[in-house]
Amino acid sequence: MPEAVIAVDNLHKSYGRKRVKAVDGLSFTVQKGQIFGLLGPDGAGKTSVIQILAGVLRANRGAARIANLDCRRAPERVKRLIGYMPQGLGLNLYDSLSVAENIEFFRQLRQVPADRFYENRDRLLDMTRLSPFLDRSAGNLSGGMRQKLALICTLVHLPDILLLDEPTTGVDPVSRRDFWTIIHDLVAEREVTVLLTTSYMDEAERCHQVALMHAGRQIASGAPEQLVSEMGAVNVALRCAAPERLLTLARSWPEVESAALFGSDVRLMLSDPEFDLEGALQAAGIDDFTQRRSPAGLEEVFVHALRQPENDPDGRSDRHSSGRAQTNEGENGLSLRKSARPGSDGEHAVVTEGLTCRFGDFTAVDAVSLSVRRGEILGLLGPNGAGKTTLIKMLCGLLPPSDGRAEVAGNEVAHAAHPLRFEIGYMSQRFSLYRDLPVDSNLKLSAGLYGIAPAERAARIDQLLSELELASYRDRLTKSLPLGIRQRLALANALLHSPSILFLDEPTSGVDPIARRRFWNVVHLLARREGVTVIVSTHYMDEAEHCDRLGFMQQGRLIALDTPQALSEQAEQKAGPLVTVRCDDFSHCFTVLRQTFPAAMLHGRRIQWQSEEPERDTEKARNLLAGIAPQARIDSQPLSMEETFVSFLGFDRQTDV
Amino acid sequence: MFSRTLAIARKELRELLRDPVYLGLAFIVPVILMLLLGYGLSMDVKHLPIMFVDQDQTPVSRDYIDGYIHSEYFELVGVTTEPRAAESLLRRGTARTIIEIPPDFSRKLLAGEEVALGVTVDGSFPTRGAVAMGYVSAVNAAYNQTLIEEFLSARGLRDAMMSPVQMALSVWYNPSLESKNFVVPGEMVIILMLFPALLGALLIVREREMGTIFNLFAAPVRRWEIIAGKALPYIGVAFLDYLILFVMSVYLFQVRFIGSFLVVTGGALLYSACTIGVGLLISIFTRSQLAAMLLTFLVTVTPAVNFSGFLAPVASQDAIGQFIAQLIPATYFMEIVRGSFLKGLGFAAYWGDLLTMAGYTATIYAIAWAGLRKRIG
Repeated sequence: MPEAVIAVDNLHKSYGRKRVKAVDGLSFTVQKGQIFGLLGPDGAGKTSVIQILAGVLRANRGAARIANLDCRRAPERVKRLIGYMPQGLGLNLYDSLSVAENIEFFRQLRQVPADRFYENRDRLLDMTRLSPFLDRSAGNLSGGMRQKLALICTLVHLPDILLLDEPTTGVDPVSRRDFWTIIHDLVAEREVTVLLTTSYMDEAERCHQVALMHAGRQIASGAPEQLVSEMGAVNVALRCAAPERLLTLARSWPEVESAALFGSDVRLMLSDPEFDLEGALQAAGIDDFTQRRSPAGLEEVFVHALRQPENDPDGRSDRHSSGRAQTNEGENGLSLRKSARPGSDGEHAVVTEGLTCRFGDFTAVDAVSLSVRRGEILGLLGPNGAGKTTLIKMLCGLLPPSDGRAEVAGNEVAHAAHPLRFEIGYMSQRFSLYRDLPVDSNLKLSAGLYGIAPAERAARIDQLLSELELASYRDRLTKSLPLGIRQRLALANALLHSPSILFLDEPTSGVDPIARRRFWNVVHLLARREGVTVIVSTHYMDEAEHCDRLGFMQQGRLIALDTPQALSEQAEQKAGPLVTVRCDDFSHCFTVLRQTFPAAMLHGRRIQWQSEEPERDTEKARNLLAGIAPQARIDSQPLSMEETFVSFLGFDRQTDV
Repeated sequence: MFSRTLAIARKELRELLRDPVYLGLAFIVPVILMLLLGYGLSMDVKHLPIMFVDQDQTPVSRDYIDGYIHSEYFELVGVTTEPRAAESLLRRGTARTIIEIPPDFSRKLLAGEEVALGVTVDGSFPTRGAVAMGYVSAVNAAYNQTLIEEFLSARGLRDAMMSPVQMALSVWYNPSLESKNFVVPGEMVIILMLFPALLGALLIVREREMGTIFNLFAAPVRRWEIIAGKALPYIGVAFLDYLILFVMSVYLFQVRFIGSFLVVTGGALLYSACTIGVGLLISIFTRSQLAAMLLTFLVTVTPAVNFSGFLAPVASQDAIGQFIAQLIPATYFMEIVRGSFLKGLGFAAYWGDLLTMAGYTATIYAIAWAGLRKRIG
């Protein structure tokens, strides 16, 4: 039995007169040299666990030990051993201090001897590509760079145990890769033990062990591959002529755990992989279809675990009672829009030409030209600070463009900001309803602000509350709602005045997978049935695939705009597909492979890199691993959305040089 | 042993020097406040606007009016015969005092009869009103004196009998009774109470709001190291503020300083540590910068202005006032500063105050140390 470096046993923590349970009887152990992921949506209690272990939060009950030291009784002794990185993009940095000064402060604070330190520092700076920015003040770094600097500051004293709280949330994919490379090297070279939290399920697959948390409790745990294979479910993407009919049909089959519209596909999760889908479809008279199968991921495990009745802690019971029916909003014809409005009769709902926004010397949005058809869902992807929010704000008439023009629903944004307001619904990145008002009052207030006739208000609010399944929350104080419900309320609020165009700025950040799926269901129905145009920004790669078209943004520019499939194909044409290696001794194999393939990355136990010559690379890898891991499975796969995105960012940087 | 304290202190100083807002709060605002208060807050009542309603219009009445306008205490607004015109000036604030001379003023005086003048004083500011009444009575008494002298000397009586009791008046410590000698050093004490406390009040709570506090809480740093590292650079700032304000008092406002510079400066050093400590203490027990700043205003400026002896001597306050005075550090430093500026007493007179301040400061930091938890909840 290997040594347990971190041990948590029956831990309890509640806030404010014992009413809110943040951690509710949690137990887990982390072995030396392991990367352990604590997964769950916002408010699941992940941060509280990390803070208790870091000795900065008092627990109510239970045990928390690090290296056999009691974190509750002897926190100061534990603090010598750990590196703790709090949540937030580089929030532990001092903005007015330069990169070098920030690192120096942490060195002095931790009393690290200079000689050993500088060697380590320079190596970390190289790996994170921060060396050229030593004299830049931390406040002027991008989100990803800040987070990497924060990691360096956490590592200066060479701790053996790392506690990282949402280290990659809101970080762009390129910085995320640098980040994981550092973590992997630390684990491989010094057997560092890492406990991290994340709300990205795809990220979690890079951990050795994970625990899924919900409402303070653990709902599943184990190695990611093991969890996925134990569930035995499979994802199927179906394409056919009548997707909506197929959706209704699929939901009536007991073997289908969930079904949802994803762009033009219908995605099913089959709890039984042996289910005769073809037969069932043909029996229903659907002959003309194509299907693509893929193994289920951690997200499906999470959804599956949450659907188990014993895992429903806080009265969100409508999820179960309505069971599968919950996703059936469309059945009776969703009537979220009252009628088509004049002024938006053209083919395009949004047209921009050279739209630019400057703040002083800084160009936040740089000559963006695009057009969005009515009823289309356009997704905007890009690192923090790429200009997504600024672009959306300009289109909503909240920020005047510095240059160029934009026509939204037939209104020139620069001149007709007021009439524009009645055509669009806007859901901002930050929750903008009044937390101290009940749900109902918030909606009444907005209805009044939008000038909806008093006689119509009540009926409209009733309609939205029932269609977005918010009716049972009507009298609840807004601040008491779970995050997922809150986001749906914000959506209802944006829909009150029946807009023809909907702007959603990172609507689902930190929301749990089930709530995210329900949110997207509503968005799909709005677009498909009501012809509402949706422009949405997101950090979730899987969400990007919900969109009809995707725009990639970098440094204010729109560097690519096409359907998700076309973008993947383009990226694959330019830089090749993904070569993937799966084997048992992945850590050693990775070290070997990286010498030949410097672009290789570790995803959990999977090693992968993009290759322009997949056949040759596969062969080469096979030869390299022949002596070490003859049983390794090596194959090439199409690019996922994340690789596609990263490739485009890379192409763009090359043309810059 | 002090390396972590130094690391924190160096970081604090760098942040201060690079943040224009903090730098302004540390050095520029105190200087501006000193200028505004120094030039604006004078308790001397001079150049009171006075209006005469002269219904007599004779050389005698004009002679009486002359008694007023030849002093720096009054400034003549005008002479009219119409009482209503004068009243409207008083209402508008153009005149603060009206003296109404009746039509039979000179006739009655020459006939040796008593005559009554109408004097109206604007009492909306009680202190100024009272001073105005005093001035009017004094000028009037001087005029009466002149009349009596003329009367007696016309009858050949001895001069000595005119004022049998004479005073030999001497004022100590502030011979010219100029209020600036009293007010300016007091202002220095008040400003040095407020700004260091404000700066100190942000020290912990700002990092708490930003999230950087975890760097200190999750590192093996001792609590006293955090407190010392944060307080020391700011005690330096507060002390520098004292030097600037002292130089302004002596050279810009020309306040006479006759005491021991060493005693005042020693007191200032203790006072700086104490006021920063007060702020730090607030910073430890509040959860937002806004709350910390408001609380600091409440517990520093208000009691310091009202009870420290800034406006009225501590001894003249009621029992509660005197009790509060003993609880605030400004009272002790006020004693030392006022005394040193005006009385010129040395260490012997103030060692008690210095000792009290030292004890006070030690207590503040002890509470801060005990109250600082390296946890967020």
